[in-house]
Order: sequence, then C-alpha cells, then structure tokens
Amino acid sequence: MISVRRVQKVYPNGVTALRDVDLEIAKGEFVFLVGPSGAGKTTLLRLLFREEVPTSGAVIVNGHDVGRMRPRQIPYLRRQIGVVFQDFRLLPQRNVQENIAFALRVIEVHPREIKRRVAQVLELVGLSDRGFALPAQLSGGEQQRVALARAMVGRPVMLLADEPTGNLDPQNAEDMMRIMLEINRLGTTVVMATHAAHLVDRARQRVVAMADGAIQRDELAASYHVEVTR
Amino acid sequence: MRLRTWAFCLNEANQNLLRNPVLAIASITTTAVSLLVLGVFLMLSVNVNAIATSVESQVAVRAFFAKNVSPSQEASELQTVRGWSEVRTAALVTKEQALAQLKQQFGNQAKVLDSLGSANPLEDSLSVTAQKPQDVKDVATRLADLSGVVHTTYQSAVVSRLFALINDVRIVGLAIGVLLLIGSLLVITNAIRLGMAARRREIGIMRLVGATESLVHWPFILEGLILGGIGAIAASGLAYWSYVAAYHSAVRSLPFLPLVSPSPIARDIALLLLVLGILLGAVGFRISVRRLARI
Ligand SMILES: Nc1ncnc2c1ncn2[C@@H]1O[C@H](COP(=O)(O)OP(=O)(O)OP(=O)(O)O)[C@@H](O)[C@H]1O
Ligand SMILES: [Mg+2]
Repeated sequence: MISVRRVQKVYPNGVTALRDVDLEIAKGEFVFLVGPSGAGKTTLLRLLFREEVPTSGAVIVNGHDVGRMRPRQIPYLRRQIGVVFQDFRLLPQRNVQENIAFALRVIEVHPREIKRRVAQVLELVGLSDRGFALPAQLSGGEQQRVALARAMVGRPVMLLADEPTGNLDPQNAEDMMRIMLEINRLGTTVVMATHAAHLVDRARQRVVAMADGAIQRDELAASYHVEVTR
Repeated sequence: MRLRTWAFCLNEANQNLLRNPVLAIASITTTAVSLLVLGVFLMLSVNVNAIATSVESQVAVRAFFAKNVSPSQEASELQTVRGWSEVRTAALVTKEQALAQLKQQFGNQAKVLDSLGSANPLEDSLSVTAQKPQDVKDVATRLADLSGVVHTTYQSAVVSRLFALINDVRIVGLAIGVLLLIGSLLVITNAIRLGMAARRREIGIMRLVGATESLVHWPFILEGLILGGIGAIAASGLAYWSYVAAYHSAVRSLPFLPLVSPSPIARDIALLLLVLGILLGAVGFRISVRRLARI
C-alpha cells in the first residue's frame, strides 16, 4: 500500500527533514508515527499525499510513484487518501452536512449519492443529529469528527492523520481514537502521527518512532516509549 | 464538467463578488468607462475619417499652362477635360484672376505684391475637381499629359495636414483608452486576487479532497468574465444607443456632413467592446492565476 524507499527530504530553506527513510505499510495496517517535535512526522505524511515531493528516493502509494506523478494525476491520488489535521480545517460558513458534502461535490459525485454517503459517515462519527450545526456551534471534539467524516466520505483506501487529537481534551481524544480504530477495522489503512502516549499505549498497534528525520524503531503491537521489560 | 458543477463554480464566483461588492462595482464601472471612452474615440475617428475623405474628393487639381499657349487652345483643353468621366468640375483660371485671389489671401499684407508692379508672374491654369477622392491622382497625371500644360499641383498639403491631425487625435484617443483599460484590468485583477485570498481555506480543502485544478480555477475565471462582461455589456449598449441617437440628431441639424450610418458600424463597435471587456476579464484571471498556484 505504502512504500517509502530511501527517501530524503530537504526543504528549500536547507533544513533536512528526512534522511534516508525506508518504510513499508501493508493494506489494512494501523501505524502510529511518534517522535519528538521536528522529527519529520508531518513531512513524511505530506510526502504520502503529494503535498511535498521527496528530494531523493521514491514514495510509492497504491502502486503510484507519487514523487514523479504528473500534476494532472494528483487529484486522483488524493481521492484515495483521507487526511485529517490537528486544526480541523472546516469551512466556517457551511454547516456540518455541507462541509462533508463539499468533498464529494468538488469531485462531481451525484447529489443523491452524496446525500446517502453523508448520512453514513455522520453515523460513523456519531454526529447524525448535528448535521445542520455550524462548526462554531460544535465542540472541538465534534469539529474533529466532522473533519474525519469529510476525510472518509470519499471512501479512501487510506487515512492519514496528523496529530488529530492534539487540540482535544482526553475524553474527545479517546472518542476520536476509538472511531479511527473502527475505521481501520473496516479495512482502511491508517497512519497517525501523534504525541499522545497514552492513546498509543492503549491501542497496541504498530509504532514507527522517528527522531531527527530518521526511523529509530518500528515495532508491532508496541507502545509509545521503548519498552524496557518485555 | 457537469452542469451542476458549472452551477457550483458560478455560485462560488457570485459569492466572491458579493463578499466584496465595492470592488466588484469598481471593476465593472472602470471597465465600462474605459470601454466607452475607447468606443467613443473609435466612432469619432470613423466619422472624422469619412469627412476627411469627402473633403479630399473636393480638392482641386491645378494644371498650369505655358506662357505661350493661346486662349483658344486653353478653351479647347477645358472642353476635353470636362469630357472625362472622373471629373466633376473644371474651370479656367486666368493669371489675372489668380493674382486677384492671391491678393485676397494675403489680405492687408497685399502691399507686398505691389512691388511686382504691372508684371504678373503667374500663369493661366485649369482648376479641376474629381468625382471620387481616389481619382484625384489619376486626373492630375492625365492633366499633366495635356499639350501646353507645364506642371500640375493639387492641394494635398491641406488634406495631409488634416489627416495628420486626425491621426494624432486617434493616437491620443487610443492611448487614453488603453491606459483606462490597463487601469480597469488592475482593478479586476485585484478583485480576483482578493477572492482567492478569501477562499484560501476552501481551495486548500478542494485540493486535499482531490478536486481537479480546472474546478479550482473556474470560479475565478467566471468571476473575471462576469466583472469584465457586465462592464462590457453596459459600455457596448451605451455606445450603440448613443451612436444611433447622435447620428440621427446630427443628420437632422447638419445634413451636409457625410456621417457614417449606424448600420453596421455601431453594431460592430458594440461587439468589439463586448469582446474586449470579456477579454479583459479573462486576462485579469490569467494575471492572478499565479497566485492561485501558491495557495
Ligand atoms: N515547509 C517547511 N519549510 C522548511 N522547513 C520545514 C517545513 N516544514 C517542516 N520543516 C522543518 O522540517 C523538520 C521536520 O518538521 P516536521 O514538521 O516534519 O516535524 P514533526 O515531526 O511533524 O514535528 P511536530 O511533532 O512538532 O509536528 C523541522 O526541522 C521543521 O522545522
Ligand atoms: Mg508535525
């Protein structure tokens, strides 16, 4: 599903964000990306949905070399990837339903189908009764679930989440985590960058730990910190 | 794109316009005014051109006889010339008449000519006007070939000065029109750019969820076309209507002026303004599009 091969990323300002990263993620996996600030987690995620291109090496997503992809193909790559950010990024003047439907309207899905799918994802994130609320009328946790619904409404094969619980209180963070694990259980590959150690520890999923632009540790059913006793 | 997607883009474009109505109105009015100025100059220049052309056709060609040509030969040459089909009028001007004319032209400085005494340095001549302006040169060459004619002149100086003046007026008008057009282009470009800034988040999400670039672009193309188009419709309608009105009142009060009738020129100019306005919107988008890539 995802294959990152000897990838190096140097930003135009000269900062080396990734140095020689190798990573394989299979279809249906759930992967936590952890590590201190500046480790390169966000950069790695941005390479996956072609927000950035690698300086060297190859990033293969769903069989496509995204670094060498023609610009015309990028939208079709993105339709297979759902993305959630720390800061929700909802459209303030549109209500919950409209925010979610927007993602399908701009890829020309039929209105009847949009209606059906919006109802489905609202159910998935537990917001069926808040469809007409504006983002400003929702709690942070609810807003993030709307963002998650928007990411999932296009039925992507993978979900990328960059610190999705970073702005949430512990209860909302746990709800969010539960929904993301559910999404993964339904077959979507999930890659989540996070600093939330307790969520990582509880989920017992694969953990890829980065530091200073390189992968330090890659373990299955692991926890946030290196486990000393086993 | 599907029809509903066009509707979506149009709606987004409208939202941009409504978000900043002052700028939208400024764009539309500057476009209308600059196109109107351009249109008025075009119409004036077309008509002044027509007038100048008719003036040129009335220019007299003068054919001067040698001193030794007899009055009877001059009279027979006059008859020959009157028989030519390109000739409208032909008359004999004796050297005495010519001197009198000259004295009249000099007015109160005619004393200068007194120094000539009784000697008259001038020659007898034929004064000929052509039917059509393009015949003037032909008539002049044919006159030069007549026996007894020494040289010919026609008052091209007056006409060429007139044409030079018209040309200057036309260049100034065009320059003013173009400057105004550039001004309105800047206003349109600014309106589109502000729209882009206001929709930054929306564009980011569109790209994130896999909207094609054409879908990202179209709302702004439509915005430019609407801004340029409304201004252009106003300008071209106003230009057309005022040309027809001005023409009819001018024909009534100045019937001798050879003005250009509104059909088809008023329609053509109106169409030209319309196309220019729409082009203005499209170019405005084209200039702003680089900013879109950086969002
Ligand atoms: N657009 C950019 N231009 C230049 N340098 C950047 C850019 N984005 C990130 N960097 C730099 O690249 C390095 C890795 O940043 P990145 O955002 O990937 O880290 P991170 O692991 O996501 O950190 P955090 O946990 O704080 O989100 C940092 O040194 C950062 O300053
Ligand atoms: Mg980050």
